[in-house]
Amino acid sequence: MVDGADLWHRRPDGRAPTIVVMRQPAIHVEHVHKRYRGVVAVEDVSFQVEAGEVFGILGANGAGKTTTVELIAGLRRPDRGRIRVLGLDPRRDRAALRQVLGVQLQQSHLHHALTVAELVGLYRSFYPDPRPAAALLDLVELSGHARTRFEKLSGGQQQRLSIALALAGRPRVVILDELTTGLDPRARLRVWAGVEELRDETVLLVSHSMEEVERLCDRVALFDRGRIVAVDTPAELVVRAGAATLVEAFVALTGRELTPEEDA
Amino acid sequence: MTELTVRRPGPRAWLTLTVCEAKMVVRDTAGLVVPIGLPILIMVMNASAAAGEQVVNGRSALDVYVLPLVLTIVLTSIGVVNMPSFLAYYRRSGILRRLAVTPASPAMVLAAQMVVSLAQAVIGIGAAYAVAVFAYGALPPVDLGVALGVAGLAVAAMYGTGMIVASVAPTPNSAVAIGLIAFFAFGAVGGMFGDTSALPDPLRQVGSWLPFGATVDALSAAWAGTAVDTSSLVGLALSATLGAGVATVFFRWD
Repeated sequence: MVDGADLWHRRPDGRAPTIVVMRQPAIHVEHVHKRYRGVVAVEDVSFQVEAGEVFGILGANGAGKTTTVELIAGLRRPDRGRIRVLGLDPRRDRAALRQVLGVQLQQSHLHHALTVAELVGLYRSFYPDPRPAAALLDLVELSGHARTRFEKLSGGQQQRLSIALALAGRPRVVILDELTTGLDPRARLRVWAGVEELRDETVLLVSHSMEEVERLCDRVALFDRGRIVAVDTPAELVVRAGAATLVEAFVALTGRELTPEEDA
Repeated sequence: MTELTVRRPGPRAWLTLTVCEAKMVVRDTAGLVVPIGLPILIMVMNASAAAGEQVVNGRSALDVYVLPLVLTIVLTSIGVVNMPSFLAYYRRSGILRRLAVTPASPAMVLAAQMVVSLAQAVIGIGAAYAVAVFAYGALPPVDLGVALGVAGLAVAAMYGTGMIVASVAPTPNSAVAIGLIAFFAFGAVGGMFGDTSALPDPLRQVGSWLPFGATVDALSAAWAGTAVDTSSLVGLALSATLGAGVATVFFRWD
């Protein structure tokens, strides 16, 4: 493992620094702790996500999922521990990370009066080599809504646009937080189909839906009260817990149930 | 092993964001009433009485008192009320947070919004000035260069004050409330509701240093062709500097 500081090579001609990203886990989280005013949000969390993997973070509300994602995205600073995304420190190498990380935040809001095409154009303009607008809209099946304002889209369409914007800069790592919460079953299927299209990206998927995690993820970390209780493939988790389904495995491993509202 | 060069968003991104902010403003039709309608209204209400009254250097009361006041009201409302409330709304709604995980810097949002609100101010002031010239025979400032310089400094002072409001306000509603209180307080001691000579001396003195009073005084002097008080300019520069300092330390993007 190469430390982030060693990856910066200041060019002798004084031009923009170049970062060399070594072959390594796409995301590396080591013994990370985070408290808010004395309340533990994340405690001693460690996991690795390999390049190209779809990795799930599954847990009930308040299990520390979103805090973990915010730490990885560099929106918060860990109290202790070490995080690397493609070898970059999310706080120190912020500018470099922003170029290779695409984030779809839980309930992120966009300029409500702008159209789908205008928002795609805006987010594409932030990156040096963006995906073509038509390809982005195709991927999330919004080509027919290019001239629709964000505020006039349905919840599912807004969510799909949000995914498209997260992918605008050809990120190497994509974070999708609560991808389908609040969507009807048909809209969820279309969103999932969009995620299944992703082949080259490493995906970190935050969810409290068993079905979603089972369908999309190669491996899953089960979160409970700020800690990781198990990391494995969905199938292995079921076997390990001696359960019949992932829902049963979750109950067996965390000692708690996901309430129906949370799973909705 | 791959190489990655850090490239900040270029001029095209700044332009795209500015165009997007402009579209947001134009599509919010109600929001255009104050910057564009209000200056004309204030002008028309005061123009006919003031236009005939000669004051100095061939300039009328309309030129020396009403136009500087109209200009100041527009700049203050945009800098101290509109900008902090938009920032608070963007922060609350998560738009700034969403942009924070892209290569776009928060400074881009701020700059784009300033450009767009200044454009509104120019249109509003321009329309009011056109009415003043063609309907009431208003004249340009005797010292046009000084007037433009003062206006530029005033813009910096108003945005500086606005950034203080945006930094201390915890919610969008409180941003509007604090902004309006600052607007009326600065205006009251700065001559928005008439001559400040009726005010107690210390209050009048402070009012002339605060951005509203300082701008009115300095623009008035530029229009009349008399010397601008150094204290006005110092007051404006201090507001701008203080605002930038407070915002740097206390402003939060999420």
